[in-house]
Amino acid sequence: MAGEEHTKWVMVIDLDRCTGCNACVTACAMENNVAFAGEEENAYGRGMHWIRLVRYWEGEYPEVQMRTMPMMCQQCSNAPCEPVCPVFATLHSEAEELNIQVYNRCIGTRYCANNCPYIARTFNWFDYEWPEPMNYYLNPDVTVRRRGIMEKCTFCIQRIRRAQEEARLEGRPVRDGEVQPACAQACPTDAIVFGNWQDPHSKVRQLAESQRGFKFLEELGTEPKVIYLSSQRHEF
Amino acid sequence: MSREGLTRRDVLKLAGVGGAVAAVLSGCGPMAKYVRRRPYVEQPEYALPGKSVYFATTCRECPAGCGLVVRTVEGRAIKVEGNPNHPLNRGSTCARAQAALQGLYNPDRARGPKVRGGKAITWEEGIDAVARALQDTPPEGIVFLLGLAPDHLAELVYEITQALGAPPPIRFGALAMVEARQTLAAAAEAVFGQKAVPTFDIAKADLVISFGANFLETWLSPVAYAKAYGAMRQGHPGRRGVFVQIEPRMSMTGANADLWLPAKPGTEGLVALALGRLMAEVAGVEAPEPFAQVDPAQVAQAAEVPLEKLEKVARYAVQDVERVVALPGGVVLGYENGVEVAQAILALNGLLERLGKPSLVYFTPPAGGREPLAPATYKELMDLVDRMNAGQVKALFIHGVNPVYEFPKVLGFEEALLKVPLVISFASFDDETVPYAHYHLPDHTFLESWGYQRVQVGADREVLSGFQPVVVPVFDTRATADVLLAAVQKVGGALAEQVPYKNEVEFIQKQVAEFQKRNDGIYQAAHPKVFWALFLQHGGWWTQEATATPAQAQVPTVQVGEAKFDRGELHLVVFPHPILADGASANNPWLQETPDPTTTVMWNTWVEVHPETAAQMGLENDDLVLIDSPYGAIFASVYVYPGIRPDTIAIPMGQGHTALGRWAKNRGANPIDLLGFGVNGAGDAAFGQVRVTVRKMGRRQVLARKENTVGVYGDGRYQPVDKRKEEEEKVTSTQE
Repeated sequence: MAGEEHTKWVMVIDLDRCTGCNACVTACAMENNVAFAGEEENAYGRGMHWIRLVRYWEGEYPEVQMRTMPMMCQQCSNAPCEPVCPVFATLHSEAEELNIQVYNRCIGTRYCANNCPYIARTFNWFDYEWPEPMNYYLNPDVTVRRRGIMEKCTFCIQRIRRAQEEARLEGRPVRDGEVQPACAQACPTDAIVFGNWQDPHSKVRQLAESQRGFKFLEELGTEPKVIYLSSQRHEF
Repeated sequence: MSREGLTRRDVLKLAGVGGAVAAVLSGCGPMAKYVRRRPYVEQPEYALPGKSVYFATTCRECPAGCGLVVRTVEGRAIKVEGNPNHPLNRGSTCARAQAALQGLYNPDRARGPKVRGGKAITWEEGIDAVARALQDTPPEGIVFLLGLAPDHLAELVYEITQALGAPPPIRFGALAMVEARQTLAAAAEAVFGQKAVPTFDIAKADLVISFGANFLETWLSPVAYAKAYGAMRQGHPGRRGVFVQIEPRMSMTGANADLWLPAKPGTEGLVALALGRLMAEVAGVEAPEPFAQVDPAQVAQAAEVPLEKLEKVARYAVQDVERVVALPGGVVLGYENGVEVAQAILALNGLLERLGKPSLVYFTPPAGGREPLAPATYKELMDLVDRMNAGQVKALFIHGVNPVYEFPKVLGFEEALLKVPLVISFASFDDETVPYAHYHLPDHTFLESWGYQRVQVGADREVLSGFQPVVVPVFDTRATADVLLAAVQKVGGALAEQVPYKNEVEFIQKQVAEFQKRNDGIYQAAHPKVFWALFLQHGGWWTQEATATPAQAQVPTVQVGEAKFDRGELHLVVFPHPILADGASANNPWLQETPDPTTTVMWNTWVEVHPETAAQMGLENDDLVLIDSPYGAIFASVYVYPGIRPDTIAIPMGQGHTALGRWAKNRGANPIDLLGFGVNGAGDAAFGQVRVTVRKMGRRQVLARKENTVGVYGDGRYQPVDKRKEEEEKVTSTQE
C-alpha cells in the first residue's frame, strides 16, 4: 500500500557544513518535550539532551582547532542497548528498522545506557516540571516521560508517522524530504539530511555515497544508521 | 464582550466543561482584523481537533527578521519552524527562535498593566496615562527608546513623534554596541558610497577573510549567514570555500575557520593593510595608498601573527581562487580607531576588485524603498543621558530594550532614569528596567502580535517580513501600537488628524497596501483584502527575483593609527553569548540548557583564560575569580580555553540578570558592567579598549558543562544560586 512500502530511515550529517551552533539541540528539545533539568542536574551530568554536540580540541595554541560532531542515537541495526533490556522496553522495530523505546515498559535498570557506546541515552532521574503555562507548548504527539524512565532520540518517529498518514490519505508514497526530524529542519547550514535509504534517488542515498562518508564507532559492529561526512580543512 | 476583559479561565467557565473546548484564533481569513477567542462549539473551518494549523510569522528574538511557521494544535503553539520560502532563513532557524515558545508561555511574564510598586491598574488607566503624557509634556521632552528591530512600531512611533514635534525615536541595544553596526555603516560609506550595513555574499565565495565577525552566531543576520556558510563549504560541487578568521578569541565562528589567526588586539586594521600589500605584491601591481604605508614583516611581528601565513593567504586569494570577500565586525571594531580599522578591512574588497575579482558585497534594498531609521550610536545615547540628567526629558517610553541591564553601568542610565518624572515601560517581562517605570504596560510577545519588519541586512531582495498572532494573548497584555493609538485618539485634535489610524492592524494594512501596486512580488491580488490574506499566509512580501546588485568598492585613503587601551593586565573580549546573545531571552530555560558551542557550559557565566596564563596565575577550571576593570567588577568561574590569546580573557554576555524571571535571575554575571569607554569616529562605543585584572578568590564554583563532569563531585561541589550571591556579598564586604 502506498506510504507503507519498506523503509530504512537514515540520517546524513555533513560535518563540513556543521558549525556546532546547537540549533538542533534546542529544536529537538522543543519538538520532543525533552525536560530541562536545570544547572545542578546538568553539573552532575544528568542533562536530558537527546542530541548533543561532541566537541574536540586538536593541536596547540595558536594552531588549535575545534571539531564538533552532533551525536544522538545512531539507530543501530545491531544495537548494543537492545539485548540487555530485561523487559523489552528497548527493542527493534522491524517495519522502520528503528531502535525504539517503549516508555511504559521501562523499569529504569539503565542497562541500555551503560551499554550504549554513543552515550545517546538519557535517564529521568526526577520528575521534571513545565510550570503553568509553559506546559502549553508540549507536543501532543510525544509522550511526556516521568521519573525512572530511559529516553533517547527517536528519529522524530511522530513526524515519520505524520508524513506516512498524509501520504496514505493522498494515496501516494512518502516523498523524499517530506519527513524532516526537528534537528534537520532547524539546521541553519543544511548539515543534517534525513530520508529513506531504500529510495535510490533520495538525497540521503546520494550524499551517503560521498567519499567523505563514515559511520561513528563502526568497528564495534553496531551498524549505525547515521552517516557522517567528514569535515575538511585547507592547510595554509 | 470586550477581548481585553476575557481570560482563558473565563472561556473555560463560559463553556462549562473544558473537555470539548479550547480557545482558537481566527487570524488568517481576509476579514480578520482582530484576535478573537472562540470556543470550539463554533469551530472555525480550518481548525480540526487533532490537526495542526500553521501560521507564518516573523522571529523577533533578534533584529534580523527571519521567517517562521508556527505549528499550533487546538489554539496552542507547539513548535517553531522556519519559513521555507523566506529569503533570509529559507526554512532554518537558530536556537533562540526554537526556544521562543518558552518566552510566549513563560510563567514569569508580566500579566497585566500596573503602576510602580506593583499595583494593578486597568488598561483604561494605562492609556489615560499615555495620553496625558503625550498631551501635557512639551514635545521636546518626550523620548521614545526602542529596540533594534526595524519594525512597524518604530515607524508608527516615528509618525507620532513627527506629529507631536518630538525628537525621533532612539533605537539601541547591547547587540548593536558589540557588533559596532554604526561603525560598519560609516566605513561602508567611505568604501562603497552607501551609509548602511552591507551584506557579504559568502555563499558564492571561494575565500572568506573575516576580521572578528561572528557571523555564524549572532552577527546581524546569523541564520542567513549560516545558510550561506553551508553553501560556501559544500554547495558548489568541486569547489569548497575556504575561510580565514582573524580575532583574539576563538569564537564559534572562528572555530570553524580553516585558519584562525589570533592577532594582537588593536592590530587587526594593520593586518588587513599588510594582507592588501602582500596581495598587490603577489599580483605584481603597485599597492594602492593605504596598503603601501605598511611593512608586512613589521605588522606580522607587532600582531604576533606568522608572516608566512599572511603570505599564503594573500597568494591563495590572488592566484588560486576567483571570488574573495573580506568582512569586518564585532570586537576588532571596538576601538577608538574602529572606523579606520573597518575601512582598512573593507578596502581589501576594493583592492581585490582592482585585481579583477568580482564584488561579493551588496546592500539589501529596503522594502518599499523606505530605509528604516538607523540605530542610535553610543554617542547619541550619552547625549540622551545628559538630557535626562539635565531634567530635559519629561516622559520616557521604553520598548524592546532593557536599558538597566543592557547599557554599561558607566553610562549612568539608572541614575538618569530617576530624574525622569514619567517613565513608561512596555516590556513583556518584569525586567530590570520595570522597577524604574511609573507605568508598566506590557506588550504581547511577538507570537501574539501583529506587525511587519523591513529586513535591513542579509537578504538579496526587498523583504517586508510580516507577523501575525499565532495564538490568542496568554495574559492581559496589549499591543503597544494599540495603546499608543488609543492614547492618540484620546488626545484628539491635530495629533489624531495626523496619526489617523484606529488601531495597529489598520496602520499595518495601510503600509502593506503600498506593496499591492507592485508587480514584482511573489504574489499579486486585485482586492486589498485578498492581498492582506496573502501577506499573512506567506509571512510577508518579497520580490520574486533577487534585486541586490554588487556594490563597487573604492580603496579610500585611510590612516589606521594605534588603538588605545586602558591600563590593566589583560585585554577583555566581551562577546554575545552564541545561544543567549544579549540575554533578552535568558529566562527561556531551554536556552540556558543548550550548551555553549565552544565550552559546552550551561546556565552560567564563565571567563575564558588561556592555559598558560591560567598556569601562571595558578588558576584551574572552575576557580572563582574576581574580574576588575576601572569601571566595575564581576565574579565568574574560570574556563581554561585553548583558543584565546594569552594576554586576553573573554566573557560572554547574556547572564547576570537581577530580574526577568526564575531561570535568569541571579545567575552568572553581566560583563557589560566591566565596560567603559570613549567613542570612535562614528560615535560607536570603543568597547575593546578595556583592560582588566583577574584575582583568584581561592574557592571553586563548578560550571555545569556538557563535555564532562569531572570535578563536580568532591571539593568543587555545586553551589545553589542563592548561596552564591551570599558568598559573593561576603567577599565584597570584606574587601571594603
